[in-house]
Amino acid sequence: MIGTMVIAIRELRSFFRLPVGWVVIALFVLLMGAGFSVAIIQPGQPATLRTLFGWGWWMMLVIAPAVSMRLLSEELRAGTIEPLATAPLGDLSIVLGKYLGGVLFLVCLLVPTAAYPIALHLLSDPAPDIGPILAGYLALLLSGLVYLAFGLVGSALTSSQTLAYLGSLLAIIGIWLLSTEVADRAPEWLAPWLVRLDVGKPVAQLARGEVTTTAIAGPLLGTIWLLCLAYVCLGWRRWR
Amino acid sequence: MISVREIRKTYPGGGPGAAGSGRVRAVDGISFELRAGEVVGLLGPNGAGKSTTIRMITGYLGADGGSVHIDGFDAFRAPVKARRATGYLPEHAPLYPEMTPLGYLRYRARLCGRWGRSAGRLAEAAASRCGLSEMLKRRIGRLSKGYRQRVGLAAALVHEPRVLILDEPASGLDPVQIREMRALVRELAQDRTMLLSSHILDEVERTCDRVMVIARGKLRADGTPTELAERFGPSPRVVFQCKSDPSVLDPRATSSATGGGWNEGRLEPLQGEDPRGLAERIGATATKHGVALRELRIETATLEDAFIHLTDDAPQPRAKTPSGSRVLRALPEGSR
Repeated sequence: MIGTMVIAIRELRSFFRLPVGWVVIALFVLLMGAGFSVAIIQPGQPATLRTLFGWGWWMMLVIAPAVSMRLLSEELRAGTIEPLATAPLGDLSIVLGKYLGGVLFLVCLLVPTAAYPIALHLLSDPAPDIGPILAGYLALLLSGLVYLAFGLVGSALTSSQTLAYLGSLLAIIGIWLLSTEVADRAPEWLAPWLVRLDVGKPVAQLARGEVTTTAIAGPLLGTIWLLCLAYVCLGWRRWR
Repeated sequence: MISVREIRKTYPGGGPGAAGSGRVRAVDGISFELRAGEVVGLLGPNGAGKSTTIRMITGYLGADGGSVHIDGFDAFRAPVKARRATGYLPEHAPLYPEMTPLGYLRYRARLCGRWGRSAGRLAEAAASRCGLSEMLKRRIGRLSKGYRQRVGLAAALVHEPRVLILDEPASGLDPVQIREMRALVRELAQDRTMLLSSHILDEVERTCDRVMVIARGKLRADGTPTELAERFGPSPRVVFQCKSDPSVLDPRATSSATGGGWNEGRLEPLQGEDPRGLAERIGATATKHGVALRELRIETATLEDAFIHLTDDAPQPRAKTPSGSRVLRALPEGSR
């Protein structure tokens, strides 16, 4: 556990030591801000951030794998995986530490956007309902967790960050197609299983303010499954 | 302290070393032991299997078979406990360029379970031991190769391990840096067990008590540098340079011209004959016949001779190519 925390903190710091971390945060906050001023803060519009969370979900789909693509790929490319993997901790600590570092960065990404609900609260009358806003943030975070885990699996498989990113993005799109287009045409016995692969559905449900156990457990289970896969991929390296 | 039994590793691929099913045997049943306090060199040409052996010992690579015990812990079944007792410097000392040496050493100490002030104290102690005190707050990416290697070494010993494993510690360093690194390694070897891999003979010969020669994935020899040189190197021989035909001084001497009218003679002592006595006899004969003698020395085997012999594909009991020498006596030109 201590090893996991040590790796996570180093990882989080390394995001801020490199310009790319700041650029990603600035870009996310700016695009969300643009969406906020174009679609939310308009006379006559309802005091809700639902549209913004929809935009945020799309951005998360692109940004989260970009955050996690370097987590293990960079270690594999630079050879720093060797001192790390021979430190007195297991592969699971490495995978969890790296992932937690990425999650903390995502949290840092979301924190500045708190300015938008605050602005909405100050500017709109009546004030917006806080429940759906919190549920929306939970939706963004959960979608980020899943996409981050996709990126981590890609990152454990290759030393090329570009390949890791494109691979995880393709996997996300492939699973989305499976759970929508393919599921529509699939046999009756298979369709319900394919539909369950859809990450967007529970997230959209949360963004609407419908907080259910299924909507939270689905993305979390997906994340755990992907982290197990990343752990297996990292362990596989010892036998390649 | 380190016990390695019959470890094996194959990689996918073909080629001359391929085992069955198109796999290459990188390490083929290597066994050895290191007692506490020993400094042992793992010597071999490039691609011999040194790094693979070390990576299996440190747990970076899985082994196809065999066992490794470090400080009493099974490195395959209880890897975390075995790694706690081990400090490891991989080849090229991979580091995070954006970190400072102090930050990196603290991070490594924390990874090894040292927390709070203890991590900082250990980091500073390791840095000081490796001569990094002046460089603690510079970015690693801006340090010279020699200093980066020192940071890697300090990271390997930051948690005060009893066993230190160094894979090519002088790799990529210039001659001055190699000398500094060698001195540092020698100093560190005083109070711990050390396994050092290298293909630089001089480095191993000057640093290690014992040498293991590895080639094509097999352990070819194990002993002190002197033992290996005597056992696998050529027999000592007398070499001299004279103005006349060397056969004048001894009919058995083989001759080759060296230029300027000088000829080099080489003479192997007969079985049981003392090479020193033979050299003195050559000197006495030259004086007696008035032959100008420029050089008279006894060539003895070196670790390099043994290494070349052992890493040859078809090893013979004793090679016949001398290269090292011990000067017995150097005579000025024209002296009698």
